[in-house]
Formats: sequence, structure tokens, C-alpha cells
Amino acid sequence: MTKVDQFASVFRAASKTPFHYDPVQIGSVLVVTDQPEVEAGDFAGRVRSFLSVLERGENIRWNTVHGGQFSTVPELLELIERDRPGLICTFRHLHSDSWQWPYTLGEYVDVLTQATSTPVLVLPHPKRPSERAITDTDMVVGMTDHMVGDDALVNWAARFTADDGRLVLANVEDVLAFERFMEVVGKIPSISTDDVREQIEGRLLRDAKDYMGSCVRALAKAGLPLNVEEIVTQGHHLSEYRRIVDERDADLLVMNTKDDDQLAMHGLAYPLAVEVRSIPLLLL
Amino acid sequence: MRIAQGGGAQALEHIVPHVPFGTTMLFAAILAAMIMSLALEEKLHAKKSLIVGLFAMVSLLLGAILLPMPFGPYSIGGHDIAMPVYIPAVDWGVITIILGASLFVDVTSRSGLFTWIAIRLTKASSGDPVRLLWAYGVMTVVFSAVLNNVTAMIIVGSLTAVSLDRLGRREMLLGFLLTEGLLTNIGGLLTLISSVPNIIVGTAADISFVSFFMRSSPFVLVATVITIVMGMRLFDIRGLPDAEARAAAVELVSGFDENDGIESPGFFWFAAAMLILFIVAIATTSVLPYVSDLGMGFVAIGFALIMLVRYKHDVDQFYRTVDWDLLGFFGALFVVINVMEHAQVLALIGIGLERMIALGPMLGTGTVMVATSAFSAVTDNIPLAAMLSKIIAGIPMADGLVRPPTDPLWWAVIFGANLGGNLTPIGSASTLVAVTIIHRQGLRLSFMGFVKKAAPFALVQIAIAVVYVLWIL
Repeated sequence: MTKVDQFASVFRAASKTPFHYDPVQIGSVLVVTDQPEVEAGDFAGRVRSFLSVLERGENIRWNTVHGGQFSTVPELLELIERDRPGLICTFRHLHSDSWQWPYTLGEYVDVLTQATSTPVLVLPHPKRPSERAITDTDMVVGMTDHMVGDDALVNWAARFTADDGRLVLANVEDVLAFERFMEVVGKIPSISTDDVREQIEGRLLRDAKDYMGSCVRALAKAGLPLNVEEIVTQGHHLSEYRRIVDERDADLLVMNTKDDDQLAMHGLAYPLAVEVRSIPLLLL
Repeated sequence: MRIAQGGGAQALEHIVPHVPFGTTMLFAAILAAMIMSLALEEKLHAKKSLIVGLFAMVSLLLGAILLPMPFGPYSIGGHDIAMPVYIPAVDWGVITIILGASLFVDVTSRSGLFTWIAIRLTKASSGDPVRLLWAYGVMTVVFSAVLNNVTAMIIVGSLTAVSLDRLGRREMLLGFLLTEGLLTNIGGLLTLISSVPNIIVGTAADISFVSFFMRSSPFVLVATVITIVMGMRLFDIRGLPDAEARAAAVELVSGFDENDGIESPGFFWFAAAMLILFIVAIATTSVLPYVSDLGMGFVAIGFALIMLVRYKHDVDQFYRTVDWDLLGFFGALFVVINVMEHAQVLALIGIGLERMIALGPMLGTGTVMVATSAFSAVTDNIPLAAMLSKIIAGIPMADGLVRPPTDPLWWAVIFGANLGGNLTPIGSASTLVAVTIIHRQGLRLSFMGFVKKAAPFALVQIAIAVVYVLWIL
């Protein structure tokens, strides 16, 4: 019955997952800081300027939470619950000096990304001298290790890309996991290792390319004023992600953090969120 | 194949020596045991080629001891040629048609042509279950006719599982797959090369491709429509209720990319042209000068070789995909039947068949068709067709002339052997493929479950066929 497999595979491969453009409506933005009220207002102003793209076709309600309004995670969660924002903007290590050590996100952001369904925009810490100006979102990178079917990631990334800006969609397949499987395949005499490598590699990347192709078509059809760049590659996740961000001088990195199978942040998102500290991150 | 035995220049088919009745009965028992073993193939966990190969070996050995077998050398074109007795026993015309056609279809399918057609039809149906059943039903019949019924079932069955999954209509999968399985044997009746019994009986009766098509197509058309309508009713396959559901279905099927399987547009169009040429060449083999002498097997192998040029460095991958079990099975089967002929077993069965025929042109032919259907439902229809065609060829007409290709008896065997396969899951290779796909999809269907669901279809089809062969053909 190998031919049944053969044709079933052909038809499964032909059954594509198309991207559906669904404009993201944000409604209101809540800027959360641990700074005193006046400084918090300044920070909120800078955030608003950075996210001016959000005003495109939508009247955004902006609110700010300053350091005096909360001192514990439950208090902050209560404030968020009361405001019900469409987006939270904050930075790492609220009410903490640990921002000097790039090993965690701090307890507030850790909980915020998982305890609420609201996307969190994590900005560089105000006390940390930024290597680059955080002024606009001309270059937005939406990145994942499995983009096929991830409409939300693309829709959010598109929403944050400034007019005439560039939206980079990057799908980086984990080369270490791939090599691990190839090592096992190489020990099974009945499987042709070279054929399997070539075919799996090809298929893996092609599915992502096809999906991105459908993203490009759908976004163009929707008339969004942006250019889309597609990157489909294999690599060491963290280093490849950093390379893509650095080479393009990205203004914003968009990525998923939720994982249905666990309470903690999605596998790769945490180290990225910890290590990529010089640019804003939108954690979905 | 007309080969005369060396020295005495005696044609193989004319040797009718005296064989003791006990010896004939011994060989009849061997034949019955082989047919039983084939019916129990799944239980024995053995391939057909091995089962029949072992019976061929035993038959040959006993034949050499007990029967006056026509061992060589054989005189061909005035030259004495030494070859083992089991070589001229095989109908190489049938073997080459099957080998060439399966290779041709395999290479052509790599072009993405068949999947392209299948997906275009899926999109044309707009994802509506009723339109999808019509599209897949007609596609099953056409693919069965042009390719072969096993390949047709594999292509359409695989697509059905994927597309119904995508449309969220898995509850209809069993009905779709069963209807398609039953339609493969209808499509298998459309042309001379659509099924092996057609090739065997058609070759024995000297029926041309065009004549076969002209005679069988009206029945195929009517039976296809009735089977699809019955499938809709019995399996409760209904159209989409409203515009919203229809729009959602269109959106879902639009996600299929018919071009995904096309590696090279050039090869795709070449394959499409070659497929049309192949059908034309097969259809006109009997009237083409020189080619008619070489036969359909030559045409099939020739087209396969031309297609293989595209993969000239990797032809071995296609040799590996050839169904050697099927070819080995045919080879061994022809040997067994040849020995049975020498042992007078076929003559013995022929006496029983003659009694049926003696019931009259109507009742006799109808009885032959129903009996053929019943036998092919429980055992392989290929040995049945091979045996019956040989026996019928040996039964003289009332006027002593050769039985013409239009004789209803040939058609009774052709229709019976094909349609009987719809009564049980083991009745034909394509229904077996349908059941295999059903089980792979995690659906439960027992042997008796299949019989209960398929019997209404098969009985209606056989009834229509009896009327068609006796009164219309």
C-alpha cells in the first residue's frame, strides 16, 4: 500500500494553509512603569510617539500606570483587569534593580505575559542607555519557528509596521532538532539518509514559504502600505534570530510566548526576551 | 500464441490426449485448492504470486509425471527452438500490457497530471458534498478506465480522505470511499485495458479496443449515474444548506494548490500529451499497420520506455514500483491453467458450463453471468476469467464457426467477472484498496459490514448488466 501513502502525501502537500488577514483592533493601550508619575508621563509620551502607527485608522485610548499605583503583582493585575487594555507597554524588572543583569525579565513581566491574554510590548529599560533610538516601527520582524497557520503573529506584526515600512516574516527551523533526527535516520538501514534529508529539508521550508506567499498576497489585497520580506531558513534558533534582527536593524520584534501545554513562557521566547534587550519586543 | 511442437509439428492447443478420469480429478482438486488459497490470501499472510507459484510448481511436476505434456523443442517460423514448457504456457501479450501500462501510469503520475486533474475537480465542486460525490464518482470511473481500477481507487480515495478532512465532513468519508470503490469496477468495464479480466477475455475473444468501448460505454454511463444516486441516498450525502456554508466550503477548497505536485511544467504538458497519444494508440492498435502485428503490449511498453527517458538515470526507482507480485501471479496462473488444460480439467468444467449454456440463449447466458458474478465475489476474478475464456473458446458454436467477439457469452463473463467484485471486499483488488483506505482512516468496517452496504449496489448493477447483455447489447 505504499502508493496509498504516496498519493495521500501528494494531496496533503497540496492542501495549503492560507493566511487570513484580520485587522487587529487595539482600542486602548496601557503603559505600565515603576517610575514616579511625571517621569511615567514622559515615558508614556515616548511610547506613544514610537507607536504612532497604531493611530492609523483607529482612535486609541492611552492610559498610564505609574510606580506609585502598585507594589505587588496582584495589584498590577487588578489595575489591568480594571482597564482591560488591548495592549500593555512596559519594560523589564519593574520595581527592581535587576535590570542591570540580563538574566530574567523580572517577576512582573513574567506574570503579565502569561496571566493575561493581552499582548505585552516590552521596551528597553529607561535607565539602560539604549544603543539605538526607539522612534518608529519602520522595520518590524515577526519571527517564529513554525509560522504556517500563525495568522495572529502576522496580523499583529502587520498592524505595528509603519506606513511604507518593511515587515520581515522570518521562519527559522531549528537545525539542532533536525540534525538529531537525521542522526537517528542515519542509523536505520532501510531509510536512505541523503534522500530523507533533502526531502524533509525541502518540504519543511516549502510549507513556510507557501504560507508566507499567501501572507504577501493577502496583505497586498488588503491594501496595507508596507513591504513584506520573507525569510525561511534553518539555523541555531537564538543566534539566527539575533542575526536577523541585527542585520536588518529591526525596530520591533514580534513573537509568540503562549504555549498551550505549559504555564511558563513558550520555549524559545523566554531566552530571546531576556537576551534581545536593545529593541522593543511584542510578546503575543 | 500459436507454437507448434517440434518434430511432429503439433499445435499445443490441439493436443487432446486421453487422460484417466482419476488424474483429471486430482488436478481439479489442485485447482480448487489454489482458488481456495487465493480466497484465503489474507488469512494465509502470503502473496498471490507465491501461492499460485507453488501450485504452478506442483502442477508442472505432477503434469510431467502423469500427463503427456508437450515438452519442446517448439517450431516457430520453421525453426526448432528449445524452451521450457512453462514459457509458451504464459500469455505474454497480457503480461506486457500490464507491465507497460503500469510503468507508463507510474511515470506519468510523477508529472503531477492526475493530482492536478483531481484537485481541479475538487475546486470545481466548490466543496459541496453532493457535487463532490459526482466529481469524484465520475473521476473514479474515468481513471479506472484510462489507468486501472486499483490506481484510480488509490488516487481518488487518498484525495477524498484529505479533502473531506479539510471540509470537516469526515462523517461522510465511509460513504464516499465505498461508493468510489464500487465505481472502480464500473469504470473497469469501460475499455479493454481497464481491468485484467477485460484484457484476458478480450484477448481470447479478439475484441478490439474500440468495439469494447462502444459496447460497454452505455452500460457504464447508466450504472455510474445509478450508483452515485444510490450512494447519495443510502449514505445520506446532502448538499450544503445555505449560502454561508457554501461560501465557507469554497474558501476551504480554494486552499488546495493543484500545482504543488508539478515538478516541471514542461514534463507536465508532455505527460498530458503522451496520455492522450497512449489512449489513441491503444484504441487504434488493431488497425495500425505493423503495430497491429506487435499488439497492445508493444504499444504499452513502448510508451512506458518513452516516458522513462525523462528519468533516464533513475529508471530503477520505477522498476521497484512495478507490482511484481501481480505479474508473478499472472505468469504462474497461466502455467497452472495450461496444465489444467492438459489434464482435461478445463474440459470437465466446460461440460458444466455447456449445460448452463444449453439452457438457452437468454437463460443460459444470464445464468453464466450470475454464476460468474457469484464466483468472482468470493474468489479472484482473474483466474476465473482466464479459465472461463479458455473454456468458452473451446466450446463450439451450434454452426461450428468460431465464437465471434459479439457473442453475449464473452460479455456475460466480462460483466460478471467485473461486477461480482462489488459483492464482497475481497471480490476485486480495487474494493480491497477501498477497504484498506477505510481502515487506515480509522473507520470500522467488517467483512459482513461491507457486504451489507455493498450488496444493494452490486445486485442492482448485476441486474442492469443482465438486462443490458441479454436484451440491449
